[in-house]
Amino acid sequence: MSRFFRLYGKKRGHRMSGWWLAGRVGEAFWFAAICVLGVLSLSTMLVWQVLSPNTHAFPIASGFWLLVLISSSFIGIGAVGFFYRVLSVAYSDEHRSALANKTNDVKSTKTAKRDSLPPMVPNLQPFTDSPGVRLAFRLPGTRPETRELVLGSLFVLAWDALAMFLTVFAFGKLFSGKPDWFLTLFAVPMFIYVGFRVTHWFFLGFLRATGIGPTTIEIDDLPLTVGESYKLSLVQYGRLAVKKLSIALVCEEVATYHFGTDTRTERQEVFRREVLEQGRCRIDWGRPLELVCEFCLPDNAMHSFQSPHNAVAWKFIVEGEANRWPSYCRSFPVVVYPRGQKTNRRAARS
Amino acid sequence: MIQLLGFQPGYMPGDELKCHVQLQAIDPSSITAVETSVAWYTEGKGNEDLGVHFFQRLTGDTLHERDWSKPLLVESTLPESPLSYEGRLLKIRWCIRVRVYLADGTDMVAQEPFYLGTETKEI
Repeated sequence: MSRFFRLYGKKRGHRMSGWWLAGRVGEAFWFAAICVLGVLSLSTMLVWQVLSPNTHAFPIASGFWLLVLISSSFIGIGAVGFFYRVLSVAYSDEHRSALANKTNDVKSTKTAKRDSLPPMVPNLQPFTDSPGVRLAFRLPGTRPETRELVLGSLFVLAWDALAMFLTVFAFGKLFSGKPDWFLTLFAVPMFIYVGFRVTHWFFLGFLRATGIGPTTIEIDDLPLTVGESYKLSLVQYGRLAVKKLSIALVCEEVATYHFGTDTRTERQEVFRREVLEQGRCRIDWGRPLELVCEFCLPDNAMHSFQSPHNAVAWKFIVEGEANRWPSYCRSFPVVVYPRGQKTNRRAARS
Repeated sequence: MIQLLGFQPGYMPGDELKCHVQLQAIDPSSITAVETSVAWYTEGKGNEDLGVHFFQRLTGDTLHERDWSKPLLVESTLPESPLSYEGRLLKIRWCIRVRVYLADGTDMVAQEPFYLGTETKEI
């Protein structure tokens, strides 16, 4: 009997034992039940409210609106889940993807000239927005420490405000003759100590981020094409005694996957080429370090690729070491097109 | 059976892909639909992504009027990207996939891989 009818399935690598259709139908019923529950509860509440508002258990107030919100979310989650499961049973993966392509085609003809761009390659628009001073384009940079700094500043502000509030509250009680000794002798000093340490940490990070001046990279052409040579210009501002400064062209694979209920992203560097290296030198305000170099993309390199869960990303990484400063690293993403896309470059930019 | 009509299973972007699809050892009257697609998919650590470049579904009269003793010709011009790729975390594969739906509710899948582009792998 168990051979024909199984209550549960087992995961065997990437597939499940048992009949996949039974699982999908079960999930579809589950979401349909959630949707029906939402519709019933919402309609009951609304009809009751309209026909007999005096006997309604939840008069119009926050409780009523909360129930409306919950019922509506049940309807939304149930309907979307049901629709998605039915779609996955009724259509194959390829058919669904083809339908999605058709929708995207309609969108792209309405909005932009996406047709001229190679499929699954990131959009070039954000990279060509800024014209350069020395070369054609200035690349947009990403500084990983910026997010840390913004989040850190929010945390420091919140912690210091809490410490200040507790201090005022504790002293208020002390002067009114009803002292709270635990708060005054233990909690407030601890909060002030932690507040002092996090504020110190924040200002150190702020100094690091702003003390080393900005870095700009300009390039003579975009998008990059496999096998072609390009000219690159780097300008490092600030007041530094540089020990070492280098630019590397890096290719990274990015994979996003589900691990239990978590979504994880893993990155792996698969290509690195030093395109420029500078030894000891001095940079001053008004006298930035300017470097120019040429580089070539390898013939058999992979182009930039972006899909919902996987990517191949190219970028320039500037790494520097300076006296009295911690080493720093700034990255500048670029888009690499497959070979033979030269004719489409102008169309992609416009 | 899927048979690529070329000298080797390697194509360049913009090339015309031609292949013959022939159904063998299946009773044609038990077939309810046949889907033929030219698609790429990812393999590796990340969740699988799939992109369909060409899709054709035969059902109803079109399916039953067809003489399955003769091969079905599938033709498609290949796109510029994504090129086939052999990386560490990620692999991009191209294939011609045929999915046959049978009257008992089951389906059968056959696919023939091919390579799009020159050698593009992590260096």
